[in-house]
Parts: sequence; structure tokens; C-alpha cells
Amino acid sequence: MLAAHRRRLRQRKMEIVTNLQDLCLLPLTVWGQLNSKIKQVLKRRYKSKNVMCRYRNVWNIDLKLRPAFLGGIMHGAGNKPPGLVPNKFAYMTKDLNRLAEYFSVPLQSPADPFEVMFQKGSLAAMRFVAAVQEKEKDGEKVVNVSRELWRRIWSEDKDITEPASLSEAAVKAGLSESEIKELLAMSTSTQVKEKLKSTTQAALDYGAFGFPMIVCHVDGKPEMFFGSDRFELMAHCIGEKWLGPQPSKSAAKL
Amino acid sequence: MTSRKVVELFYDVVSPYSWLGFEVMCRYRNVWNIDLKLRPAFLGGIMHGAGNKPPGLVPNKFAYMTKDLNRLAEYFSVPLQSPADPFEVMFQKGSLAAMRFVAAVQEKEKDGEKVVNVSRELWRRIWSEDKDITEPASLSEAAVKAGLSESEIKELLAMSTSTQVKEKLKSTTQAALDYGAFGFPMIVCHVDGKPEMFFGSDRFELMAHCIGEKWLGPQPSKSAAKL
Repeated sequence: MLAAHRRRLRQRKMEIVTNLQDLCLLPLTVWGQLNSKIKQVLKRRYKSKNVMCRYRNVWNIDLKLRPAFLGGIMHGAGNKPPGLVPNKFAYMTKDLNRLAEYFSVPLQSPADPFEVMFQKGSLAAMRFVAAVQEKEKDGEKVVNVSRELWRRIWSEDKDITEPASLSEAAVKAGLSESEIKELLAMSTSTQVKEKLKSTTQAALDYGAFGFPMIVCHVDGKPEMFFGSDRFELMAHCIGEKWLGPQPSKSAAKL
Repeated sequence: MTSRKVVELFYDVVSPYSWLGFEVMCRYRNVWNIDLKLRPAFLGGIMHGAGNKPPGLVPNKFAYMTKDLNRLAEYFSVPLQSPADPFEVMFQKGSLAAMRFVAAVQEKEKDGEKVVNVSRELWRRIWSEDKDITEPASLSEAAVKAGLSESEIKELLAMSTSTQVKEKLKSTTQAALDYGAFGFPMIVCHVDGKPEMFFGSDRFELMAHCIGEKWLGPQPSKSAAKL
């Protein structure tokens, strides 16, 4: 009992903020048992989420997913998407290919990334994800639905704006037809819209200017990390060890 | 014997992340089977040529960078400390004179250590000691700390404003743009004859994987010099 209590005191909480739009896809590992004591905060970026999902049973962390809206972050921080600078866009394409291979994530640029990211956007998709989380609270459905949505745009070059698209993703994530119907309705409710807004605002309050954003609560202080290239430093800051892209042999292949 | 892989490091002393990349690559040049080639260039020219803006112009980015650099300085054991007025240092005063001086050092010495030492002392001035790097006297002080003689320094200051050195800095900057640069540091690894470009000081693990080496963290050898 005392050991468990001590462990709880030592727990590190991590919030990872992300959005479906700009991600490297990374396969989630197969979970062992979800430690019921571990809550997880994750504002997603696909690669980040996948890496964090691989580490949630390796590090002594309480990972919390925080689906939010990247468009709102860009607006609130007065930032622009990096892909608008031609040399950055060209670099990102190559960078993502290399990272996908290194992290074992089946990431593949859509034929028209600009259309996907800047014209079609992700508001409907993130409201859907927020609805999934609102309904289920701390379960795995939000993990699975998020992954399937990422897979659609960043592996299969499919739409994520239409209700039918969100439906297909949710089916793949193992949700029932009646659940999906309910979630689609919830997506446009004031409650869910406000939930997405407030999570996005919370990210801005932490100083976000893009996604993914990971916030580690260390001794009560929030330490913010931007991007999917701070895992080694993050490990050092929270007193854990970075073991590379596949921390456990039982890591599932996507 | 396997020939060393050529790794080019494009940098400007005005860039704090470039200092991190520079120290790490210097530590690894005797650990990895690489031929590290320093390519001092002009970040202002990169921003202009790529149509990019410095990240610090977005307030949340600037605030983040300050904290990020503190953490990275500690993790990589580099004595980085923000100047009192980073905007003045980076955007008003700039680094053209300093990088022309560095280019002159390299032009005169070719493949020696002087460019390494002078670059480091210039980084130390702005990014550790909050000192000027625009005036000839400032460049002189840095060069003295780097072990150069007074006569050498006098010659280099004169060379800095020569057409030859100005063109040298321009062409290195253009070479960076030709590789697709939009900021610094930029590391180009030549793997099987193909250039692999890595931006920033946060791709070492991936870079190692791409060139068939192993990332051993910030201090790959016990004999790594302490700054």
C-alpha cells in the first residue's frame, strides 16, 4: 500500500497536445494491461502519440490525451504553418519519410497535402475525436479512433471531413453503428464544441504555437516540449531513459 | 579501409542552435567515421533566399525557444545563456561582419583548427557573455582568445572586407540554399554519393541511423572537452 502511495506521489503526468493534420504516422504498440492507476494526457501528433503510447507502459507516467484544434493554435499564436515556406515544405516531406521509416510508422504524404491541411482542414474530425473522449472519458476508444483518422489522411490519402469518412474510421476502431451515430450527433453539440475550444485554449495557455505539444508535470511544474524530436531531452527532464523508437520487444507492428 | 563519410555543417554564429550542433559534431568527428567540413555561412542570406522569417518573431515561439535553449544547454553541456536583448543581437546588429571574419579565417587556413576555435569564441561572446560581435575590436578579442596572433588578426580583418572573402561567404550561403536550406544549423551527410539534409540540432539520432553510425548521446567519449 505504501509502495503504491509512493508511486502515485512520484507519478509524472504528461499531456501531449496534437492535431490530426500534421503528423507522422506511427504504429501504436500493442498494450499490455492498461494500468488503471495511470491516467494519460496526450495532445496528439501521430508520431508523438505513438511514441508516447509505446512509452506509457515503460515510463512511470500518467499519459493524458488532449485532442485539440491546430487551426485555433495557429490563429491564437499568430503563427503560420511551416509548409508555407517552399524549402520547409520540401524538407518536411523528406524528413517525414525518414522519420516514418525510423519510427516504424506507415506515413505517406497525400497527393495534395496543401488541400488536406489548409483547405479541407480538421475541425469536424477533431470535434468527433473530442466527442469520443467526452463520451468514454479515459478509455482506449479515443486512441483507436485517432489512429484510424491519422491512417486515413497520412497513410491512405482518404477524406476526414465528411460524416461518412469519420464513420468508416470509427468502424475500423471497433465502434458500433449506434455509438457512431450518437458521436456524430454529439460532435456538433455545444458541449463538444466548447470542449474542443477549451482544450485548444489550454494549449495556448501553456504557450503552444504548433503541435504536437507535450506537457510534463514535474514536481508540480509544467515543462513544455514542442515537436516529435525532444524525446531524449524529455526523458532526461522527467528522470526516465530514452530507449529509442521501440522501447519494448513486444511492440506491435502496424 | 572505409573512406570517411563527408558531413558538411552550415552555420552562423548568430544562431544558438547552431552552437549546439557545432559542439556535438565536433565531439563526434573522432567517434564517427566522418569527414566533418565546416561551412560558415550567413543566416540572413538564407532567410532572404528561402523567403523565411526567424522563429523568434512569433511570441510563443520566442518564449519557448528561451526555455528550450536553457534545457538543451544543460543537457549538452554548452554554456548557452541568452543575451539581455536577443532581438537586438539577432535582428538589429546581425552577424555579417562576424561571418565574413570566420570565412576569412577559413580561407587563409583551409582545413585547420583556427576556424573551429574562432567560431567557438564568437559564439561564446554573444551566446554566453552577451558581448558585441560586430566591431573589429570585438572580432579581435575573440580571435586572441582563439590563439591567433596580432599580425594574423590584422591580416584577417583586412581580408574580411575583400571581394574574395565576401564572394566566398556568398557562395557558401548559396550552396546551403541549393541544398534546400531555410535556417541553420544545416547538416548535409553524403551517403553513397547522395546528400541527406538534416535541419536543426535535434536530428542526431536519426542522422546516425541514416549514415550507419550510433548515437551515443551528448558526450560520446570520456575525453570530450568541457567548455
